[in-house]
Amino acid sequence: MTSNASSDKTKKKTNNEKSQQATIKILMETAENLQKENEILKRKTLKSQRTPSGKIGFVLLTIGALTLIGSVVSSNTVLAFIGLGLTFWGALFLFSRPIKFVRGTLLDSTAVSSYTTIDRMVEDLNYKGKPIYIAPYPREAYLPEYMKGLKEMIVFIPAEDITTMPTMEEMAKKQFLLKNPKGICITPPGYGLTNLFEKELRTKFTQMNLERLCSSLPNIIVKNLELAKELEINQENDLINLKIVDSAYKDLYSTEKGFKSIHSIGCPLTSAIACALAITTAKLVTIAKDAASPDLKTIEVWYQTLEA
Amino acid sequence: MNFPLDLWDISLWIAVTAIILLVTSELLAPYSEYLGDFVIDKTRMRLAALLLGAAFMVTVLIRVVMPP
Repeated sequence: MTSNASSDKTKKKTNNEKSQQATIKILMETAENLQKENEILKRKTLKSQRTPSGKIGFVLLTIGALTLIGSVVSSNTVLAFIGLGLTFWGALFLFSRPIKFVRGTLLDSTAVSSYTTIDRMVEDLNYKGKPIYIAPYPREAYLPEYMKGLKEMIVFIPAEDITTMPTMEEMAKKQFLLKNPKGICITPPGYGLTNLFEKELRTKFTQMNLERLCSSLPNIIVKNLELAKELEINQENDLINLKIVDSAYKDLYSTEKGFKSIHSIGCPLTSAIACALAITTAKLVTIAKDAASPDLKTIEVWYQTLEA
Repeated sequence: MNFPLDLWDISLWIAVTAIILLVTSELLAPYSEYLGDFVIDKTRMRLAALLLGAAFMVTVLIRVVMPP
């Protein structure tokens, strides 16, 4: 009887393991497919929304050059002025054509697939814990080869709400699924933006304090990168309040899209700020609460810093 | 078959264009949605305006050094 029971248990265990492996495989395949779809969409949008300033520039330049030649042939001052003006504006349109600028709508359409994937993963694994931003080791710090994984920013999504943090050894292995404590480790959606903020600031977040970060980040986001119209960061003890007006990622908060992970991990912009806060304070950061106005114009996020 | 404009004409044209460009680059909204499909890089526009301003100063200097 006892041997039967133990064999049943082992069978159940192996079945569970097999089903878990199959789920992970399916999730990986879905993620890959979504990424491919994302790339195709990106190309399509870029093709259909090319800026016309280049064409206008060429037309103006050609007409201007012809008028200038005409003015020389007929010795006409008025024609010369017109020709100069047209040539100059044509050249200016070609020079000031923003090659790197893309439409704001492209930003959230490229982020949609990432949030769909995260939502699917969390729902499928039935994880209920609050994601925690874990600051990486500074890039310039020396770490042995097997610990190099600690230099990457991660978000840990625990299976349960109250949990211990994964050990350094576990994080250093760069694993996706963690067993003790149970959870998953992913790269934050705003990690790329965090690096961009550092580039724009021409300094590292590790060399800043929280007050300086709160005063310099709005300038970079609003004026340099134009990701929002207004941005305010206020510190209240261990809570940090962020208020964004007209964010480039506001559509991700719409109820139509219904992303659950956006409220726990944040949109790429709020996630990038969470990364910056984690790096600057060298503490764990979670999104305690968020609220979006009905027209999505204003988004408020409350970050909480936790001792590691 | 001579170019009909002299240095003084060109200098005046440069000055007027530089002012127009500087004012435009200052007034241009940071969001391209106001310009519809037409997108322009504000910083480059301002750079062009400043270059034109410098070019105007050069023409003035030429007038000072070599009066007509």
